[in-house]
Amino acid sequence: MSHAYNVSASVDFDRKFSIIAFGLLIAVIIFSTYLHHFQPHILNVPSNTNVASWKMTPIEHTWIYDRMNAAELEKVKTQGIPGTDFFTMLVYLGLSLFGTYLCFSHAKKHYSYRMAALFLIGSFIFTGLQETLMILSGRFWMGGGQIDPNVWGSYWFPQGLLWFFETPVWVCLCWFIIAYSCVWVAKQVFPALPLWSRALIGGLTAMVIDLWEDPVLTSPEHMKWIWAKGDHIGILGIPHGNFLGWFFLIFWFVILWEKYLPLCEKRRGAGKGTLAFVGLILISNIIVLAILIIEGHIMIRVFPQGLHIPPLSWDW
Amino acid sequence: MWSKIWKNRVEFYPYASIYLFWFLGSFVSSLRVQNRPGIVALGLITIPSILLITIATIKTYRKLPGELRHSGVCDADDVG
Repeated sequence: MSHAYNVSASVDFDRKFSIIAFGLLIAVIIFSTYLHHFQPHILNVPSNTNVASWKMTPIEHTWIYDRMNAAELEKVKTQGIPGTDFFTMLVYLGLSLFGTYLCFSHAKKHYSYRMAALFLIGSFIFTGLQETLMILSGRFWMGGGQIDPNVWGSYWFPQGLLWFFETPVWVCLCWFIIAYSCVWVAKQVFPALPLWSRALIGGLTAMVIDLWEDPVLTSPEHMKWIWAKGDHIGILGIPHGNFLGWFFLIFWFVILWEKYLPLCEKRRGAGKGTLAFVGLILISNIIVLAILIIEGHIMIRVFPQGLHIPPLSWDW
Repeated sequence: MWSKIWKNRVEFYPYASIYLFWFLGSFVSSLRVQNRPGIVALGLITIPSILLITIATIKTYRKLPGELRHSGVCDADDVG
């Protein structure tokens, strides 16, 4: 069941590519992990143990604050964010590595080693960088009051053992698992559809899963990520930009991987084609950020009073 | 059936991983949420996605080569 757009490259090139690509990725992860855990002041990483020290986004300015009762608030203030112990974070990492192994093995069988590796590395970089751009832009730029903080205040992940910039590695790996699985599902159910339609269905499949997952995992019991107030539109107690991001990242990455990667390699050869693919990913990161900012500004004008689905009176 | 699935287990890896993701990340985690009535029932919203994943799993199973093929005996499809 190999596909016509398999990238043909020599074993030698695959070996060199793996050493360089995975080597660079591991180097960035080591550096980011050191920065996050041992030099948190450089990127203003919010403390997990002392919630009162949150200066840029005090807990009263977060979405979770509105969802907590007095006892839960007191617990977080005295005990810190739940699930930040070493063992729990190791379990997240272990589970995400297991899922990654499953999807990577499947991709290697159905495409090729290098296509599988480029899906893994490409989606890892694309989503990890996009999350980091949004986290840091919220922290220093919009939430930091430099420009309109109403587009999104900020958000961040408190739980992570290893980090890729400001995104936990387990989150990047989960993006890979979700993106690959959902797009494969779309391909199996609708094999006759063109790529754009399959990418659309894959993105929507992932987004629908997140409609339940996000409200659950951002609850006071889990706090896997924390949203600062900012976005005027909430869906199930979650900023609407989150769901747009879920759909758009998967939709666009699959287009890049399945359409533009083989095209780049055909025109420029394996090495330069791969570099062009990474370049497209980086450019896409900036474009996605710009789209989300513009969309946020438009929504503020369309719904100046804000919009919550379901209404806030439902306690969602 | 199970031996057929086990022999071709790689084909089911994407479904296994997304089911696992959904089961642990959403279902099991929702059982721990205390102060939000209806959070478990909210899972019904994911029915379209779960349905698609299940259809894909069944289609994949149906596409698998028959048991006889592994024993060296040809299926009718193989003739001609």
